[in-house]
Amino acid sequence: MKTDLSPRMKTALYGLMCILLIPFVFPTWWMITSSVKPISDIFAFPPDLWPRRFDFSTYAQVFELQPFARQYWNSAYIAALVTVGTMVISSMAGYAFARIKFPFSNAIFMVVLLGLLIPSEVTIVPLFQIFLGWGMINTHWPLILVPIFGAPSVFATFVMRQFFIALPNELEEAARVDGLGRFKIFWTIALPLAKPALGAVAIFTFLHSWNLYLEPIVFLSSTQMFTLPQALTQFTDAYGGAMWNIQLAAATMTAIPVLLVFIVAQKQFVEGLAHTGLKG
Amino acid sequence: MAPVTLKSVTKSYGATSVLHGIDIDITDGEFVVLVGPSGCGKSTLLRMIAGLETITGGAIEIGGRVVNDLEPKDRDIAMVFQNYALYPHMTVATNMGFSLEHRGGSKAEIAERVQWAAGILGLTHLLDRYPRQLSGGQRQRVAMGRAIVRNPQVFLFDEPLSNLDAKLRVVMRGEIKGLHQRLGVTTVYVTHDQVEAMTMADRIVVMNGGKVEQVGAPLDLYDRPANLFVAGFIGSPSMNFIEGELTPAGFKAGNITLPLPANAPTSGKATYGVRPEHLMLADDGVEAVVKLVEPMGSETQVSLSLGEQSISAVFRERIKAQPGTTIRIRPDANAIHLFDATGTRID
Repeated sequence: MKTDLSPRMKTALYGLMCILLIPFVFPTWWMITSSVKPISDIFAFPPDLWPRRFDFSTYAQVFELQPFARQYWNSAYIAALVTVGTMVISSMAGYAFARIKFPFSNAIFMVVLLGLLIPSEVTIVPLFQIFLGWGMINTHWPLILVPIFGAPSVFATFVMRQFFIALPNELEEAARVDGLGRFKIFWTIALPLAKPALGAVAIFTFLHSWNLYLEPIVFLSSTQMFTLPQALTQFTDAYGGAMWNIQLAAATMTAIPVLLVFIVAQKQFVEGLAHTGLKG
Repeated sequence: MAPVTLKSVTKSYGATSVLHGIDIDITDGEFVVLVGPSGCGKSTLLRMIAGLETITGGAIEIGGRVVNDLEPKDRDIAMVFQNYALYPHMTVATNMGFSLEHRGGSKAEIAERVQWAAGILGLTHLLDRYPRQLSGGQRQRVAMGRAIVRNPQVFLFDEPLSNLDAKLRVVMRGEIKGLHQRLGVTTVYVTHDQVEAMTMADRIVVMNGGKVEQVGAPLDLYDRPANLFVAGFIGSPSMNFIEGELTPAGFKAGNITLPLPANAPTSGKATYGVRPEHLMLADDGVEAVVKLVEPMGSETQVSLSLGEQSISAVFRERIKAQPGTTIRIRPDANAIHLFDATGTRID
């Protein structure tokens, strides 16, 4: 439903939205501007919204102090694999729960959903034991396998199921009359129509993997294997104090893909979640 | 083209029986309409013919072959759905050629068939559009195009016009009928609209409560309804029913005596059925009080009180009577219908 607001109401609404925006935008603004300030200017009071002096050398130092390019690659390829894997698993599982009649499907779905209620801190020790047994500690396998088969995938399955439930039955029936079997219906009809939901799944799975912190610090021990959130904590001086400007330069570079993903795909993200009954 | 035969077909969902032994013979090239009120089982029956619902009992034959356990794709049927069921992510051309593509048709053959179907349905200029870019009528045509492109043995239509406005429905009705006359493919068409059934069908199957009430040509059903249900369902406005008694002097309902045909029985309780259009203004008729006058232009519909009964009448004349005034009407004795206490027609 479209509501026409008066110009005065519109101005008031936009003004309110601008004020509400401040707590969200200010930290990002502070991070980016501080990354190019000399360290002495970062905590100046009153704070400078625009740097008095620009110092871009911090960006070079990020790569000198850590194998940052390697860590960037680690995060990127792990997030890509997790995203693709989760899309495959969740779309098929969501379709099965939504469209295929099998005994106890609802009960099984409830059991799967219960996985969302278990915090990752609870399962981290048993998972460590399992991956230790499999010889996968200090490899990237736990960071790939746990999200694909764990809570993020469960949430993605829920999103996909809600989408497939809303697809008209007649589309599948028309496809059956047209000569398609179950998998072809999924692949040719249901999946292409699920692009908004798949887009949402891809975005939040990518972000979840990109921002993963607890699992990397438990499963990884060498800097060459680190991912970005873990690497950010390593920019410290000899006394363990934070090297703020360098750390913020690294954080800015870490945030770039996240911002890009949101800017490019925010419409799809909201549309996808709209099908689940969740607000975007 | 192929005949379709239903033999004692039943359908149950658990303990709930929804179809109670349906027997219908549809001849090759015939246009049969399944009509009935909501929930009578007509769509379920159509979906069973299509293979989209399992059959609990009995047999369905298409072209002499029992298809009970065959998948829809192996029955050589094409179906047009109520909401068209066009694939939203495919163009009109891809939608129409989709089934041929999945049955291994060559690109040239698919293109030729799609062009042929589009030509028949006036869709040639729309082939590159997506369903969302089409009007309701155009979508309906694409759904029909998708059905005819494959040249199936049987067309199945599941209330295909119910999403269209009244004017477009009349246009599309003519187009579907014209398409059937052109292609001659056996067609089973489901609707709850008896006007659609009357205007389109070679034969109508009237269903009620999971049973077939009567099968026949449209005018046979109109002229000789087998029971009260069919009599009330076929015809618009629907037939008037008056409870009373057969006597040698005529049909007595309270103080009113209505005329009977010459060969009518002369004793026993009965229901007197007369269609609104078979009531005439007559000075020697019975008195009726006007309740409502609805001028339609070509005719006038009048709601009347006849004794304690409410009836409706349709007159070709333009009636100027005001509500509350009395007019005299007489049924055409040769067009009345009598039903016994069980609701069965008395001949």
